[in-house]
Amino acid sequence: MIDALLLDCEQTEGGVNFLMKSVDLGSRLDVVPLYELGGVDLAAYRGLLIGLHADQRYLLARKAQLEAFLKGGGTIVFCGHVAYPFLDELAPYRAIPDYTVADLEVVRIADHPVWEGVDPAHLTFRRGVAGFYGRGANPPPPGARVIHALGPGRHPVDFEARPAAGGRLLVHAGADLWGYVDSDTSAARMAPQLLDWIAAEEGMR
Amino acid sequence: MSLAVVEGGSYYHHETINAPRFRDRFDHAFYAPDLAEGDLDGFSAVMVADRVSPTVLRAKRRLFLRYLSEGGTLIVLGENQAHTWAPGVEWTFRPTNFWWWLDKGTDPGHRIANPDHEIFRHVSQRSVVWHFHGLLHPPPGAIPLVTIAPEMGGGPDGTLLYDHPGIAGGKGRLVVTTLDPFYHNGSHFMPMATAFLGGLLDWTDAAFRR
Repeated sequence: MIDALLLDCEQTEGGVNFLMKSVDLGSRLDVVPLYELGGVDLAAYRGLLIGLHADQRYLLARKAQLEAFLKGGGTIVFCGHVAYPFLDELAPYRAIPDYTVADLEVVRIADHPVWEGVDPAHLTFRRGVAGFYGRGANPPPPGARVIHALGPGRHPVDFEARPAAGGRLLVHAGADLWGYVDSDTSAARMAPQLLDWIAAEEGMR
Repeated sequence: MSLAVVEGGSYYHHETINAPRFRDRFDHAFYAPDLAEGDLDGFSAVMVADRVSPTVLRAKRRLFLRYLSEGGTLIVLGENQAHTWAPGVEWTFRPTNFWWWLDKGTDPGHRIANPDHEIFRHVSQRSVVWHFHGLLHPPPGAIPLVTIAPEMGGGPDGTLLYDHPGIAGGKGRLVVTTLDPFYHNGSHFMPMATAFLGGLLDWTDAAFRR
């Protein structure tokens, strides 16, 4: 079984380009064009990586396939803002209105293997600029475990949920977590640890 | 007189088209994969939002070409690989410098080539100064509007925004840019991109929705 399938959205200069060419990580995942999802047998994969540029109207049309993958014990990772809730556990993104720098501070709420050894300050700032990590929240479903929140308002920017259909769902309300793979900070740990975390849940199937 | 937008189902398309700021500026939104024969008939102008799937746009290419040949105005925003499907468009990749503004006083190279053009009655000159995704090379007959200076790496004709009237048999008009404001505005992240799109929609209001 292959660790992950990444849905490609034909965008240049994103994390997918680094990931595909990385010998260590690239050999652990397949990449197919988003619109070919319908013809893919997801049973060959432990995880499904969906990034910020994805056509969510298309994903909504593939909801039954996504739920079947979860039912089989699969893990779905979504990065981006929810516009068309394509799973029952997703709800439309809420931006922090008129945010200030203080609102953009990444606060760790719970430890999680994907973020082990990642300094939240390295998520809050890139080259001294705040806001890349997140500027709002995809409201988590009841029972979800919030991993990081933003600012004093504690807007949940990362959560893990156990979908009713089965499997696991990890949601980040920002740019692709695998886009940090070339970072020179501890943020670079997220991509390999994400694949490790997906691979470690073999017992769920 | 009306403006249609073609979008790709991404969150930033949904946000830009449906949020209060701009929702009154589009008369109709088409989901690119569903775009069908005859859909574009009757619209004075059609805007293709930035970052729609280039594969989908190429699959709908015939509809865009026919719209142009019948006298339509097509406005194509950035990161759509327009050079693979839109008439006359040539483009070269340049690594994007997302960080140019961290050095205060840096000249990123943008020049307003034709300040008297009607677009600049609505688009402020400073609203086009942000990172860009590669350079266009306007064909003969096109009017360059925003260029990158040769000494700043723009080469002889590196362009970010141009207007090409009289294409497709003489009746069509193609406006092309490498800027991607739907993505940035819809991500709540870059006020200058929002300002640029606001100016562009002021222009489409004035030129195509009166």
